[in-house]
Amino acid sequence: MSSPLLSVKGVTKKYGPNTVLNDVSFDIGKSEVVGLLGDNGAGKSTLVKIMSGVVDATQGEFFWDGKKIEGINREKTEELGVETIFQDSALVPQMSITRNIFMGREITNKLGLMKIKAMDAITAQVLDSVVTIEGIKSPKQLVASLSGGQAQAVAIARAVHFKRSLLILDEPTSALAVRATEALLDYLRQLKGEGVSSVLVTHNLHHAYQVCDRHIVMNHGRKILDVRKEDTTVEELTAAVVGGAEGIRRYRESRGL
Amino acid sequence: MSNNQPANKGPVLSAPQATEAITQVRRLSDKQPTTFIGRFKENLQFVRGRGSLEISIVLAVLLIGYITASLISPAGFAFLNPNNLSGVISQSIPVLAILGLAAGILMIAGEFDLSLGPAITFNAIVFIKVSESAGLWAGILAGIASGVFIALVNGSIVVFTKIPSFIATLGMSFFWAGASIFVNGTTPAILTTSRDATMVFLFAQDFGSFRSQLVWLVIIGTIAYFFLHRHKLGNHMFAVGGNESAAEAISINPKKIKLIAFAIFGGLVGFASILIAVRTSSMQPGGSATQDFTLFAIAAAVVGGTSLNGGRGSVIGIIVGAALIELIRNGLLLGRAPGFYITLFVGITIVIASIFNKLMEGKAR
Ligand SMILES: Nc1ncnc2c1ncn2[C@@H]1O[C@H](COP(=O)(O)OP(=O)(O)O)[C@@H](O)[C@H]1O
Ligand SMILES: [Mg+2]
Repeated sequence: MSSPLLSVKGVTKKYGPNTVLNDVSFDIGKSEVVGLLGDNGAGKSTLVKIMSGVVDATQGEFFWDGKKIEGINREKTEELGVETIFQDSALVPQMSITRNIFMGREITNKLGLMKIKAMDAITAQVLDSVVTIEGIKSPKQLVASLSGGQAQAVAIARAVHFKRSLLILDEPTSALAVRATEALLDYLRQLKGEGVSSVLVTHNLHHAYQVCDRHIVMNHGRKILDVRKEDTTVEELTAAVVGGAEGIRRYRESRGL
Repeated sequence: MSNNQPANKGPVLSAPQATEAITQVRRLSDKQPTTFIGRFKENLQFVRGRGSLEISIVLAVLLIGYITASLISPAGFAFLNPNNLSGVISQSIPVLAILGLAAGILMIAGEFDLSLGPAITFNAIVFIKVSESAGLWAGILAGIASGVFIALVNGSIVVFTKIPSFIATLGMSFFWAGASIFVNGTTPAILTTSRDATMVFLFAQDFGSFRSQLVWLVIIGTIAYFFLHRHKLGNHMFAVGGNESAAEAISINPKKIKLIAFAIFGGLVGFASILIAVRTSSMQPGGSATQDFTLFAIAAAVVGGTSLNGGRGSVIGIIVGAALIELIRNGLLLGRAPGFYITLFVGITIVIASIFNKLMEGKAR
């Protein structure tokens, strides 16, 4: 059996006296869609930031395709082809859509001058793939002038454009309309076929259950459930998210498991 | 890393039920302008609401007013007098515009340097002393290096201690003012033998209808334009000033970008210090001779549409802002208004411009 794409081992994160993540370990397989579930404050976003190399873990190890990643940071994860849609979208409102999408990864000539026409054209193309988001007038539009859903689409478009091996989505559908949400879930299934793994963080268990091959449930900074889709139900996931470890136990008892 | 999305991949987020017809109507790439004029019109549309267009209109209106007044009463309001024009357009505006660009680039990256005025005194003294002892070229290098050095000291304090730049550089402004006395005593540093034809030609030559300073503004303004609005480093400055954590999440290093912004700021201030020193031939240590420049440079940037919160501003806007301030100052002088009117007026202008910027930020598209 080949090694998983990414292995997270024993991650602990402390903010001052608060332990936000407590000894969390899990794998993300190649071409696998993993659902990361849990109540508000469970530590999902913190885990996403650590996996993306944006925030340092207090403790923990990371393995990529079986090889240890020494000193994980954003530069390394970028090199590995990891793209993340952060919950707080990570856009610069005062900049245009194009400049947001290519921020830090501008297409330039040898002098470092940006090829703005080329970037605008690609932006239009990438946003066109996000057709269910209406009302974007031009790639030159400032992000400040976009609606929440449109801004989220820009963040999604950026990650979609640059991802190569792993796409992490932290509550990507919170501002999207129903149809755009359906389309995004559809896209995650399509990604699998292209050999790209993804991690979907969401509140909506039905969304997660629809597309994810495996579900990880977090509760107060601990991993309390890690199951394949075949081995669980929406009801069990709900019990885990709402009731924690105790919830899972009661659910299993009630089912005579 | 591939930047090209395969064209045949189809809509990424199209809902399964979206029909072909709807998809086609909405396509953004089909709406992209193809002709030069089309692109120009699109650019113009998205420049509106970003400050520089509005401020240019204000400048034009003011100029028309001045020219009219000067034509009606050439003696009472001598704006069109060649001496006056040369002083304003070729000397005052270029110096303030270069300082405004310095302050503006730093503000775009999200920081301030309130030691700008005293730094000018220090740089000018370094330039004068080194020019006198080691010649012009060494003096130019030393003057600019002094500016970069001061800014990097200030910048390092701000970037590494995370003390707000307002406080840190306000404190440092007293330090650099004192340092200029430490270096030169309390008597002025004076350009004597080193102020030769070459030095004057480079920094203060009167070519009839324009002076060296204006040429420098054109050169520096052009480079600044390509740097800020076309170069990726300039793009990173907007990103860091606009949303530092967003820039960091995409692996831009805010500390590095801010230090580069401080260094550019310092280099431009150093250069402006040379222009000031050559024009006046001397510099009084202590910093009081140049302290007004701090406020005026920030005012030029703000009047030109630079956001006090970072992430927003333009080269053209800042140059127009500097021109507007110097024209207002000139108008007050020509109208024989008492000196304090000028500071009073610049103070009010900053406040009005900031309110205007705030309103525009909401309108920007
Ligand atoms: N920068 C931070 N400093 C201190 N505490 C933080 C920070 N970021 C997150 N936390 C805390 O960590 C916990 C988990 O937050 P988060 O990862 O955002 O949870 P989730 O995404 O599951 O809702 C919360 O209690 C939150 O207050
Ligand atoms: Mg979260």
